[in-house]
Amino acid sequence: MKNLFHTMKVMKREKKDIVISIMAGFVAGVTAVGLFGASGYLISKSALAPPLYALIVVTSLVKLLGFIRAGSRYAERYFSHRATFTVLSHLRVSFFEKLEPLAPTIFQSYKSGDLLARIVGDIESLQHYFLRVFYPPIVAMMVFLATMLFTSFYSIYVAAILVIGLFLTTCLVPAYYTIKQQKKAPEVRRKRGVLSTEVTEFLYGFRDLKIYHKLGEKETRLGVASNEYVQEQKSASLNLISGQSLHTFVSLFITWLVLSIGAYLVSTNQLDGIWLAMLVLISLTVFEEVGAMATFPMYLQESQDAAGRLSAFMKTEDREGRQKNETDSMPPLSEPLSIEMDHVTFQFPDSSRPVIQEMTLSISSGQKIAIVGPSGSGKSTLLQLILNIYDATEGEVRLNDLSVKNWKKERIWKNTKVVLQDNHFFHGTVKDNLQLAADRVRDDEMVSALEKVSLHSFSLEQPVYEKGANLSGGEKQRLAIARAMLKPGRLWLLDEPVSSVDAWTTKQVYHQLFEEASQDTLLLVSHRLAGLEMMDKIIVMDKGRIIEAGAYDELLDRKGYFYEMVQIEKNLF
Amino acid sequence: MNQKRQQIPIPKKNVLFLFIFSALLGVMIISQAYFIVAIIDSIFLKGVSFSTVLPMLGLLLLIMAGRVLFQYVNRRIGVQMAADVKQAFRRSLFHTAARSSFHSSFTSQSGKKVSTVTDVVDETDSYYSQYIPQIIQTSLIPFLLLLVVFTQHVHSGLILLITAPFIPIFMVIVGLQTKKKSEEQLDQLSAFSGSFLDALQGLTTLKLYGQTERQKKKMETSSLRFRDATMEILKIAFTNSFMLEVITMLGIGIVALELAIELVIYESLSFFTAFFILILVPEFYTSLKELGTAFHNGRSSLGAVKKIEEERTEEVSMWGKETLSIMDRPPLIETENISFTYGEKRFSLEHMNIHIPPYQQVAIVGRSGSGKSTLLHLLAGLIVPTEGQVKVEGRRLLDYEENEWFRHLSYISQHPYIFSGTIAENIVIGTDREVTKKDIEEAAERSGFAEVVRDLPKGYETAVGEGGRGLSGGEMQRLALARAFLKRPSVIMFDEPTNGLDVKTEQILKKSMNELRKSATVITVAHRLHTVQEADKILFLDHGRLIAAGIHEELLNRVEGYREMVLIERGGANG
Repeated sequence: MKNLFHTMKVMKREKKDIVISIMAGFVAGVTAVGLFGASGYLISKSALAPPLYALIVVTSLVKLLGFIRAGSRYAERYFSHRATFTVLSHLRVSFFEKLEPLAPTIFQSYKSGDLLARIVGDIESLQHYFLRVFYPPIVAMMVFLATMLFTSFYSIYVAAILVIGLFLTTCLVPAYYTIKQQKKAPEVRRKRGVLSTEVTEFLYGFRDLKIYHKLGEKETRLGVASNEYVQEQKSASLNLISGQSLHTFVSLFITWLVLSIGAYLVSTNQLDGIWLAMLVLISLTVFEEVGAMATFPMYLQESQDAAGRLSAFMKTEDREGRQKNETDSMPPLSEPLSIEMDHVTFQFPDSSRPVIQEMTLSISSGQKIAIVGPSGSGKSTLLQLILNIYDATEGEVRLNDLSVKNWKKERIWKNTKVVLQDNHFFHGTVKDNLQLAADRVRDDEMVSALEKVSLHSFSLEQPVYEKGANLSGGEKQRLAIARAMLKPGRLWLLDEPVSSVDAWTTKQVYHQLFEEASQDTLLLVSHRLAGLEMMDKIIVMDKGRIIEAGAYDELLDRKGYFYEMVQIEKNLF
Repeated sequence: MNQKRQQIPIPKKNVLFLFIFSALLGVMIISQAYFIVAIIDSIFLKGVSFSTVLPMLGLLLLIMAGRVLFQYVNRRIGVQMAADVKQAFRRSLFHTAARSSFHSSFTSQSGKKVSTVTDVVDETDSYYSQYIPQIIQTSLIPFLLLLVVFTQHVHSGLILLITAPFIPIFMVIVGLQTKKKSEEQLDQLSAFSGSFLDALQGLTTLKLYGQTERQKKKMETSSLRFRDATMEILKIAFTNSFMLEVITMLGIGIVALELAIELVIYESLSFFTAFFILILVPEFYTSLKELGTAFHNGRSSLGAVKKIEEERTEEVSMWGKETLSIMDRPPLIETENISFTYGEKRFSLEHMNIHIPPYQQVAIVGRSGSGKSTLLHLLAGLIVPTEGQVKVEGRRLLDYEENEWFRHLSYISQHPYIFSGTIAENIVIGTDREVTKKDIEEAAERSGFAEVVRDLPKGYETAVGEGGRGLSGGEMQRLALARAFLKRPSVIMFDEPTNGLDVKTEQILKKSMNELRKSATVITVAHRLHTVQEADKILFLDHGRLIAAGIHEELLNRVEGYREMVLIERGGANG
């Protein structure tokens, strides 16, 4: 329940709608009970040949109750759903706020979009919390209490039986099945995970599986994984339906008790027989009204899981602490930054080998540096250390002679033009995506930035799909460069910015880029070596260490690792 | 071509049972009402003693238990049916997928396919576990109830008969209206559905650009707009149930009034009958309403079933039964005018005639998008030409038994797939032979993978792949080479890595390929100058056409496009 605390807090903001839906639910429930009670009374009364006007009064009451019930049911549904969707919107915003300080670190540890999709799904499933978990028991309790109060005028025993029924159907039975369900759910999820891994492997490894003639074997394994998952699901469903059946049986049994006790009381003249039919009908109806409680365990389980995952996710990543958002008050630095690394070592918490080892490096203000090396040599991590996305395990990274630890992250980012390997583009237009760069960017500035990256054919109004799905890899990279160009800042950090751009265009883009950055500090990570001749210095990394450094020609003359790399690249086409 | 679609029918036996138990359930509902009424009648009007009604009370309790039991059994059959059908769906999906040919676009849709197999199949659950039992139950029980009411009191029966059709008619009308409305709101809805995810995925970018505040506001407004759009649709649904309640209420009200009047004024009706009907009438309307709800749920599940059917009808490639006799040399490979088109002109390869004698070293060269990989896939038998034939030893490739061909073939892609398992298992996957630990180590040694393994604390038993240690690009290449060394194929298809690997891996790649080619025909999608220089034959492709074939010097002199690509753009465009 603790995990759902946050959801409850958010829900509090929609107090009015919630109160209205609870009240409407109560009225609907009570009128239904009243309706059937009244018709029971009506029919009993008629049997005793009463005056006609009495009948007409009761019948009109029945009709009236009917309309009130339909109307309040409508109100209940309307307000509860409106509250739900408003709460959902608050939840999205509040989770976005909570996630915000954790970025970009979380995106390093969870590369796949799966996790984010799951977060979105979990937040969506919290909508059931209010609709099916939070308020139905409240309404059920209230309807029950009112019914009990009413029946206690006729028979205290019947009222007592209803109390027992209330306790059984809204507390004991749901609680029992909730606990049982909680034991089943993790197993279902685990089996689902196994199946989904097997399927993914089957699809991605399809070509190799086919050639190695392992498809048949894999098919069998898939069948087994699927069967285990289905069986697990089945056992969870059976648990649920036996819960529902028990719920129904308890309700019927209570009605039976009401009938038995009532019959006994009437036969011993402790109760007027005219009320018997009414009491039995009331009992039948009131349990039908709390029928929603039968699905309570399932939804409680779902909400708890979702909330649990969300809060676990927030907790593990919350070591960052929240930083004040003071970006707006910080003016951009007027001088390009200098960078120093002093015996920096970095290791991911769960890995056995450091990504960066004992790295010492100094980049003075305005220098243009390239970092090259094979994949996995730690080039990108180096940029992330400078951006203070990660903290160095040992040693110190300094910007303008001040340790990055003493910088506000936002201040570093505000002064940096970053192009990452995976640049995100939002659903919208080219213009929308470029406008992220700064608060006030003029159209002509954007157009000229597009020209500089050789995207002449792009118009500002051109649509961009989510994740830039309608752009090619090279177009996305160039659009990211254009966006960086429009952003203020005097430090360029570029991670493989043109790896998908053809050679000729690369040359054009580099040319414009260096012109733009002529007065700035620039760090370029690249595995392609062509075009690096104009850099002040090239740093060659392998396995987290600097193995060579120097200007292009110097390194070629040395005939070392860099020279070999150049030879290989010459060999490529 | 065996393309027969096996329909997965609704299990007939289950349906029969559902009918039987639903009928029993209906009988229980009616008997329950009967006994409640009988007991009240005896006590209230006839004034009998409590002990007289005791047997009836006992019977009523049994009936109630029976009602719960039959309901439970019905649901249980539904759950069982859902489990069986889901498993059958998956089996047949796996079956189709395992026999389908490899598309070059296969991996791009993987996410969708995984979701078909897991989520979409799960979506069919409610169709079988809820919809079918419900539909059977609600198509049977109202009629039973109506029948009983008619036998008891014709007037009430007539009232039910007249009011009842309003419920389904109303549901259909409102259903259509909802559909229209939701189609109108569809843009609004679909625009929103991804936007939250979009914002989360772009959080890094937003932060680096200091734009989170703005995005938050945008999200809030769009979220509320989404709420309003949804509420518009829901309002119709709520009005619908409002009207249904009113109809029901009116129905019950009319029946009650009519019963009261006949009871009081005409005294033509007994209390027993009147009360009995009064209890049955709400049950009647409730089960009609449930029918409508069931229809609604069933429709969404039907969409899922349709999606699965689409997947299952994907084309299936068929291999023959011929054996490829064991040879002491690599087979002769030819193509006869092969073409391949994929999608609407999205991709094509046109009329290629290629002749590859044993031991020939072939390099396929061309710009990205020229069809190099497609040609390699065609030669490997991973995809089937839309026209023409690939021939091996003078016979149609597809006439051979699938494994007869793949036994002789190694395919080293740019991104070899690493299966979850140990390193040793991943190397062994290359061969059908029984291999010893020594064989594995030897293959790893020759491919340069052994030195990677030496750095690992668990050596060959290290878990890799999903949930295991990740391998770098260079390490994966070496692992793929180790597979090939173990397999000793007579045909090697090699998609050379486009990006420069590390210096060490490059050397190993070159050395290993030199060794492997001694005993095999090698067909390479080439990205390295030395590969084309050493090739016996270069196939130069452009826009899906074979422009020229020959050795390096020959093409340099003769073909301008080739010269341009290999020499001028060298060190530039990759891939």
